[in-house]
Amino acid sequence: QSWDMPTPYGDATFHTQNVSQFAEDLRTATEGGLDITVHSAGSLFPHGEIKNAVRSGQVQIGEFLLSQISNEDAAYGLDSQPFLATSYEEARSLWDAQKPVISELLAEEGLMPLFSVPWPAQGLYTNGEIEAASDLEGLRFRAYNAQLEEFAALTGAAPVQVEAPDIPQAFATGQVEAMMTSPSTGANSSAWDFVTHYGQVDAWLPKNIIVVNERAFRRLPEETQQAIMEAAEAAEARGWEMSMEETEAKTVELEQNGMTIYAPSDQLREDLQAIGEDMLETLEASASDEAKAILSDYRE
Amino acid sequence: MTLFLDRLYRAAAIIAASCIGAICLLISAQVVLNAATRAGLPLPATIPSYADFSGFLLAAATFLALPWTLRTGGHVRVSLVTRMLPRRTAFVVELAVLVLGASFAGYATYYAALLAYESHAFGDLSRGIVPVPLWVPQVFMVAGLALLTVALLHSFAQTWAARAPVLGGGEEA
Amino acid sequence: MDLVLIGLVLLVLLFACLAAGIWVAMALGGVALMALLLFSNAPAGLVLATTFWGHSHSWSLTALPLFILMGEILLRSRLSRDMFSGLAPWLGRLPGRLLHVNVLGCAIFAAVSGSSAATAATIGRMSVPELEGRGYPQSLVIGTLAGSATLGLLIPPSIILIVYGVATEQSIARLFVAGLLPGLMLVGLFSAYVAARSWLNPDLIPARGERLPYLARLKASRSLIPVALLIGGVIGSIYTGLASPTDAAALGVVLATILAFATGGFSWRLLGEAMMAATRTSAMIAFILLGAAFLAVAMGFTGIPRGLAAQIGAMGLSPYALLAVLTLFFIVLGCFLDGISVVVLTTSIILPMVEAVGIDPLWFGIYLVIVVEMSQITPPVGFNLFVIQGLTGLNILRIARAAFPFFLLLLVGVALITVFPGIVTILPNAMG
Ligand code: NA
Ligand code: NA
Repeated sequence: QSWDMPTPYGDATFHTQNVSQFAEDLRTATEGGLDITVHSAGSLFPHGEIKNAVRSGQVQIGEFLLSQISNEDAAYGLDSQPFLATSYEEARSLWDAQKPVISELLAEEGLMPLFSVPWPAQGLYTNGEIEAASDLEGLRFRAYNAQLEEFAALTGAAPVQVEAPDIPQAFATGQVEAMMTSPSTGANSSAWDFVTHYGQVDAWLPKNIIVVNERAFRRLPEETQQAIMEAAEAAEARGWEMSMEETEAKTVELEQNGMTIYAPSDQLREDLQAIGEDMLETLEASASDEAKAILSDYRE
Repeated sequence: MTLFLDRLYRAAAIIAASCIGAICLLISAQVVLNAATRAGLPLPATIPSYADFSGFLLAAATFLALPWTLRTGGHVRVSLVTRMLPRRTAFVVELAVLVLGASFAGYATYYAALLAYESHAFGDLSRGIVPVPLWVPQVFMVAGLALLTVALLHSFAQTWAARAPVLGGGEEA
Repeated sequence: MDLVLIGLVLLVLLFACLAAGIWVAMALGGVALMALLLFSNAPAGLVLATTFWGHSHSWSLTALPLFILMGEILLRSRLSRDMFSGLAPWLGRLPGRLLHVNVLGCAIFAAVSGSSAATAATIGRMSVPELEGRGYPQSLVIGTLAGSATLGLLIPPSIILIVYGVATEQSIARLFVAGLLPGLMLVGLFSAYVAARSWLNPDLIPARGERLPYLARLKASRSLIPVALLIGGVIGSIYTGLASPTDAAALGVVLATILAFATGGFSWRLLGEAMMAATRTSAMIAFILLGAAFLAVAMGFTGIPRGLAAQIGAMGLSPYALLAVLTLFFIVLGCFLDGISVVVLTTSIILPMVEAVGIDPLWFGIYLVIVVEMSQITPPVGFNLFVIQGLTGLNILRIARAAFPFFLLLLVGVALITVFPGIVTILPNAMG
């Protein structure tokens, strides 16, 4: 059996490396019985089409950013809710609460989640240190989803929509002055070329998810299915480790390239926490039952 | 019938051109808002999901313009070889080309329709700030491809009747 | 079946389709369909629909119809004629005269647009009728256009450098800066070639008009002001951060419309005509891009480019030998696939082997862009050739022949940056 696996990120990204290792593990475990070709960097399908390509069986397995589909159900987007889960432990409990619910949601589309790996926590990239939320007031802030737009509005920043490929240019020309992203993405896109400060505000830990087409999975022999589940479990454990190491390594890389890394002041922490609570209230007012179930489970 | 179809291709192309005009206005409005925000004017900072909407308008413009572009010889093709063929052979080759083209376009139409149907059935939404049901912009892709298929079949009928190629789009003689 | 054999079968099929006169977009799509049906297990129809949809609504493609529309508006207004008459007295003494407008116009436009097709369509729309009307030889007019428009890829902003930067996690800002000097070097090479050709063969270029005194020349240059405003407005909006490059395209259309009305001779009817013409050209180019994207996806499923690249990797070559083989590989691949697809399909295999022999990935990005530039002007699948065919109605081989010297000049450019890698690395290294 040979499977094709589209992924959105490049080969240097730890997610892609983890997935390649997962494919390698499976080749070994099944003695070549299942050969997964990883098509990295969106080379097979654009990021936005990957989920549906797996759903309709064009490919058997694929990876995408889970919160990318949060418009379809708020349950998918909880890991990108600012200041809801801000550490690896919290991210882990959130995923434990999320997994059964989104497994059911995805099953309606014939998809089966295999494993999910978080990006490092999102920090604040600016020129100059941000000491309180009020420092963000009036800054042009990159917002690419509804949550970030709301966040910007609550801090008094001006949300600017900048598509990912335009980021370096947008900073270079002053189109945006602040953004929130992980140290990985920051280092990989050489953030030091355009900003000076990185604030470790740990806003949220978005996750990538690897899903498989259920029909394709059921067609495999029992022992191959078993091998996939085992390799997935190993990949999830390895991925979380890699993510933690990545946080360290990439933060150091930012620093080595001349960026100032700072922990948020108590004032900033309080401000952001308050904004997070406001946003959660808004979310709960309109969230699906599934999303609410996850939240109550997570809080226990 | 020919008159009706030719009007239909042109109408689709005019909608396509309007889509491109709309992209222009939408993006320019955003640039004006950028400038206004800088100047401190109390206007909203962004048109939500303007990039998504521009993309959808572009897709609609592309597909809706395909049939008219075909009929007015706008799609490029190589006529280096066919030009050297004897009249009768060139006629037969042109018929074959139109059949192949119509099959490809028809095939694409069928699967594009299936894609839009699936999007509708699963309730797929766009990923931006404003959630748009994806089947809506996808319908324009289906319509454009379907009309392209019709245009190719229409050209086949005309070529058959004229006993000679009727479509341009090759190079000058 | 052997990958090379499958590749050859598909090539023959592609040639047959193109020779029979199937429209380029459908020939590419049809071959891709055959590749999927015959040599993969993927459900071809669904993949076709997903690819058409996924690639037709992309944000970076949005700039294409807008720039084309800007060109169509300029063509129908006084602006493009004025630009040439304003420049003519200044270029009178330079061998090649107004042909340099093609080269420099493309270079300036390349600083606004990230795509080579948009550059060829916009500049060519104005310069081809204007230059031919003034009696410049057709082969040089379309050759300089085809060649210089490829600069759209190298001079920042550049879609392909963004794709490469994202896929390989190179700094896009550094890649952009690295593209500057090689871009200027190519401008120099192209201009020098035009000058040399005209100097060696003075009859080629139409006689110069009467020589104007300096003041009169300045006076004639007043007609350049509207175009200068337009270029300044578009580039300025990007560099002051008011607009992204795509935004700037829309701004260009609005500015061009205002200036066209302001300078007179423009009407709502002409604006309507310009919009229909732009819609037609952009549908033509976008359809070919979709066909090419589908072919690239089919190649991804069949694994042909990946397999061939891996075979090159297995040869264990020295850096220079590796580059020579890769250049050949990319030129051949570039004859049949579009440039961005070539980069996307092969970087995961090729970048590790390039890094393994100690080649700087930043340098390699620029090298790759120049090689991809060549693919824009090689038949049978070369985007600039299609765009120019759309503009002039000339046959593709004729355009390719006119562009061939520029293909060779690009090859010289590759040789120069290989021998003097500093051309690429000196500016980004100065950035720190
Ligand atoms: Na450019
Ligand atoms: Na080519």
